[in-house]
Amino acid sequence: MKFLGIIALLGLTVDAAFAEPLAKPFAIPDSVWTMLDRHCLECHDEDSEKGDVRLDHLADIPLDARLDLLNKAHEQLYIEEMPPRKKKTQPNESDRQQLFDWVSSELKKHGPSKLEDKLRYPDFGNYVSHQKLFSGNITDAPYSPARRWLVSPQIFEERVKDVFLLEGRDRQSNLYGLTNPLMLPERSGIRDYDNTTLNGGHLLVMLPNAEWISTKQIRAARVAHGELKADEFPNPKDKWAPRETPPALQTVILKESAPSDEELVAAIQTQFGLVTGRPATSGEIERYLEFTHSSIDVAGNTEGLRQMLVSVLLESEFLYRLEFGAGEIDANGRKMLSPHEGARAISYALGDQGPDTDLLQAAAEGRLTTREDYRREVQRLLADETYYAGPVDPGISGKNMKSHETSHPKLVRFFREFFGYPGAAKIFKDIERSDGYYQNPGRDTLGSPGFLIKEADRVVDWYLQHDEDVFENLLTTEDFFVYHNKDNETGRDVIEEWRQVWETLKDTDWKDNPAIVFAEHEDFLNRKSLWIFRNRYGSDRTKPGQRLELFSNYMHYFRESFGKGQTPFTTVPFSHGYQYHHATFYSLPPTPRRERYQELSKKNAKEQEEMEFWDYPVEQPFRIENRKGILTHPAWLIAHSSNFHTDPIKRGRWIREKLLAGRVPDVPITVDAVIPEDPHKTLRERVEGVTQEAECWKCHQHMNPLGYAFETYDDFGRHQLEEPLEYEEHILAKATKKNGAHTYKTKPINSRGRLDGTGDPALDGEVTDALDMIDRLARSERVRQSIIRHAFRFFMGRNEMLSDSQTLIEADRVYLESGGSFKAVVVSLLTSDSFIYRKLVQEQL
Amino acid sequence: MKSRRDFLKQSTLGAGAMALPSGLFANPVGTPPRRFIFMHRGNGLFPKTLVPPSLGEADIAREEKKEPFEVDLDGHDLPDWMSPLNAHKDNLTILQGLSGKMCTTGHHSWCSALGAFKANERPSSIKWATVDFELAKLFPSPMEHIELACFPIGGGNARGSLDGIAKGFSARGAQQPNYAFGSPKGAMEELFKSVSNNPDDQISYQLKRKALAFAAENQGRLAAEQTGIERRKLTNYEDSINAIRERNRKVDAMGDTLRQHVPQLDAKYLVDDLNTFDRQRAHSEVLLSALISGLTNVAAFTVDELAHPYTGIPGIENEKVNMHDVGHNKTIAGVEAPEVRNRCRHHHMTLVDTIVSRLKSVPEGEGTMFDNTMLFYFPDSGETHHSHGWEFPFIVMAGSNAKLNLGRRYIRLPYHGEEGHKTLGNWWTTILNAYGNPIEHYGDFDLSLKFDQTGPIAQFRG
Repeated sequence: MKFLGIIALLGLTVDAAFAEPLAKPFAIPDSVWTMLDRHCLECHDEDSEKGDVRLDHLADIPLDARLDLLNKAHEQLYIEEMPPRKKKTQPNESDRQQLFDWVSSELKKHGPSKLEDKLRYPDFGNYVSHQKLFSGNITDAPYSPARRWLVSPQIFEERVKDVFLLEGRDRQSNLYGLTNPLMLPERSGIRDYDNTTLNGGHLLVMLPNAEWISTKQIRAARVAHGELKADEFPNPKDKWAPRETPPALQTVILKESAPSDEELVAAIQTQFGLVTGRPATSGEIERYLEFTHSSIDVAGNTEGLRQMLVSVLLESEFLYRLEFGAGEIDANGRKMLSPHEGARAISYALGDQGPDTDLLQAAAEGRLTTREDYRREVQRLLADETYYAGPVDPGISGKNMKSHETSHPKLVRFFREFFGYPGAAKIFKDIERSDGYYQNPGRDTLGSPGFLIKEADRVVDWYLQHDEDVFENLLTTEDFFVYHNKDNETGRDVIEEWRQVWETLKDTDWKDNPAIVFAEHEDFLNRKSLWIFRNRYGSDRTKPGQRLELFSNYMHYFRESFGKGQTPFTTVPFSHGYQYHHATFYSLPPTPRRERYQELSKKNAKEQEEMEFWDYPVEQPFRIENRKGILTHPAWLIAHSSNFHTDPIKRGRWIREKLLAGRVPDVPITVDAVIPEDPHKTLRERVEGVTQEAECWKCHQHMNPLGYAFETYDDFGRHQLEEPLEYEEHILAKATKKNGAHTYKTKPINSRGRLDGTGDPALDGEVTDALDMIDRLARSERVRQSIIRHAFRFFMGRNEMLSDSQTLIEADRVYLESGGSFKAVVVSLLTSDSFIYRKLVQEQL
Repeated sequence: MKSRRDFLKQSTLGAGAMALPSGLFANPVGTPPRRFIFMHRGNGLFPKTLVPPSLGEADIAREEKKEPFEVDLDGHDLPDWMSPLNAHKDNLTILQGLSGKMCTTGHHSWCSALGAFKANERPSSIKWATVDFELAKLFPSPMEHIELACFPIGGGNARGSLDGIAKGFSARGAQQPNYAFGSPKGAMEELFKSVSNNPDDQISYQLKRKALAFAAENQGRLAAEQTGIERRKLTNYEDSINAIRERNRKVDAMGDTLRQHVPQLDAKYLVDDLNTFDRQRAHSEVLLSALISGLTNVAAFTVDELAHPYTGIPGIENEKVNMHDVGHNKTIAGVEAPEVRNRCRHHHMTLVDTIVSRLKSVPEGEGTMFDNTMLFYFPDSGETHHSHGWEFPFIVMAGSNAKLNLGRRYIRLPYHGEEGHKTLGNWWTTILNAYGNPIEHYGDFDLSLKFDQTGPIAQFRG
């Protein structure tokens, strides 16, 4: 009765409590029992039940519970975490495989296992054994599963431009009424995987998009037909439209009677060609013909036709890349990509645009059917400096800064996703803690992180262009770009002319009588100083009345630079929209602020307090002390920090997963991961205090010792040997300026860490700081191979499988033999079987 | 709405009920849904303008020092501009002291105030569904949510026109801006097109439904050829199309009800160059029709935005008022900026009066539709023209079935940084928790506050 009472209290009925039937008898083969008994039951039987897991009653529990248990075991066996490595008796390879196969077969009876599903997601890429992948023992023929792959946001925009048949400069048009339905997840690591599905959110955005695109497509024809005046726009802010409507569509609109089947088929084929890049099938023609006729019956030629255009635009194929292969199935059950699929796959791997004319021609003429065909086209497109040229990420461009432009933005994008430094834009800081220099992202600007992300892009692109020892250089370079908004030659010209002005006028009475000096030397200034009074396009920048004030500002600026034996930054702080304040995050001196000179030219203005400003290096990249590679770039350091402080856990986790191909489990949902406050301890001491418990250290041992080495960089990326204890009670001096930082008592930084997991005893071990660790990482074979693995994921849109082993080994070999060429890696990957062949996987059969 | 006395009585009776997850019983069959109206406006809402002029000296002193206190509005006068609410004082709460420094502030805030995060014009800045969409999930309806707006067409937040359908100020989910109707006429035609008498509208309506049916059929055919994840990539899309068709079907099934509630707009509200005051009145009518007909239970209404060119202001009807100039205290055609603001606010209160009075006139259950309604009037970016998010004043109108302990009160909460201070995040969390979303905390945190900011505002739990 008591038991029943409890059930009643829980709000359940007796029937419900006993609703789940016990499982049918479940047979476990003797050989499996033997292995379980030998390796598992010591910890997972009724008495021990470690981790709340019992395996001894596997045969007696209900089906759901058993599947749950088997799924857990499946994963642990796959990643070889069980039995624990500290156990002396480990199953041999054969036993482990036998046990794994048995669990797999039991799970398969009930659909895909949880592990199979997990292995499709980016977070689980490293579940595949690195050792096995590069052992050379796996000789399976590589392939990618036959698939649909959702297009990236950039490819979507290019596809819309293809629908409008835009070419050349017209492709720069701002598509005002278009909303991009696609967003990549915002996280460090490769983001564009083939496992995303179209959903209701995409559809809700695509419905108005399809209306807008179709309306624009037929606008020119409607004007020609007299349905609209040429200057009639429903939305005055949205006047753009393609100049012409495709002839087959125009024919239908201009016709005064119902269109013929032939005319409609031509229109349908045109829209299919524009939207999907292929002709409609006979089945599609039949259905669309009927649909278009019936729409025209209801609404007339124009609106009926437009419904057909909308419907093709709503085909999922507009948003998916189709890669199913065609032709004969080979001995390994694979099909080669069709020439049409291959051309698109190559082009979308190297850029955002569809195939160029040569590639389309190669596909049409049967010259895209062998590995050598792929190699020829990939090498040609990598050598082409113009076809894919454009901004690395137009999304970071704002009113004061434009994204870096390069010949192959997509290659830069691999490294920015791999390193994850664009995540800096998602971190918000207290400006005062940066002494007023940090600008959070705001309206139409990404602030300081925007500039830093662009400068990291430039470092990546610099080494991609040189294409030698790319990985090692990106990890260890001491050369960076900071504020480099003019090329080296232009910068030299600017400084040379400015110096002439300063040398000529420095001994005049410019400070007290600028008007007289200006009048006396106006011809000289006008003649010589291209960069003072003219903008970069060569036209006059100022009205005559403003020149005197500008002259005075320049002379003050020169006095604080040339006058002290230094070189000024080649953009003056009193120029319109000046926003360069982030040098301090490289631990460089600041450049003057705009306000410093705004007042100086006025009568009775006070002299500004003397300050040390940055001696600007015109020639860039240039060497910066205490930095080595992207992991010491402020963009990376900020991206891998919190809003308030550094984050050695996040930094360590990145190294473990991205460079060492390791795994760290997610924070258990029962853990409230909070770093405790303590005004007397450094952040490291506080983190150590909360993660040293055995339960925590089990995971944190894989992250903290790697991340601690980076404590020499604060959460703004500034190099530090002392950490300020930012608590009220430790304020030594209050800030003396608006948004200024208080001065706090400090404690020395402890940057000792430990590197493990390279697989090389010569590299693993204690490290003194981040620079020491980076040197070792850059020499690690494991690190090089881990980057190759991530490149594979980027270009294939999926995690590697064991069957991709040969592809990865070959890419690694090519990298070494080419002297560290990333382009050679790209060619190797895009000519691999993993790229060229498709196969139906088990669940598709 | 409960008075404090009611709350004390009911809270003892309802102690057991409070332990249950209220979401389970958010909208049981047969009970009326809850309705929410979010009216927000640009150019800031000055906290001092909401202070009842009849406060005693001690309270005025507290108000000036921004110290926490509350008074019963019974026996107090409302500020003149709020006089249209005199008849609804029992339902009125003036709430001061909430901060919103986790929002984008200044001239424009996009969906920051409704989402309690820093938003900008980029969809990627949208971190999650705004609070109105979260409530819409709790009280489903055929349209889920509607948004009406007097759009900005200049400044840093310009939409294409006053009359289009453009990105609104609410968000359906992460990176998913919502779309709002700029034209009341357009909104009426779109929302009630299924019962339109206009032949062109009927044709357009039929065509769109045909196109969706055709698209669903096409995707279904493709999906049938696939298995596993590749099948899901298509069925997911097909299901999404069918979900919209299902919504349309529900709307179609409401034909008789919709016909009864089609907004009855005078001809002057259907012209193209509608002035702002008339646009706001007409939007209110559309909003009421959508709520009363049951098309939606949640409506967001951007009463104005900083860069909306204001027209129709009494006394300066023919001026196209630049509210940025008003923000900088420029006198407009002889009318000083504070007075321009005053006239606009007064008009907004007449809209609130219209909405509340109309809902009170519609019987529902044992009471009226307003009993199950809450309306919030608040600034989109805080306390002034160049706001910093120090304060987000609220006018709350709540029906008698509201699940919050509010009512006929002027409440000033502890100021930013003071002990007990509450943020927009706490406020939205309070409302979501009360209506069945058990979220621990909705919204980002204010980086400058060093104490625990998590959770609802305990004193408002009803």
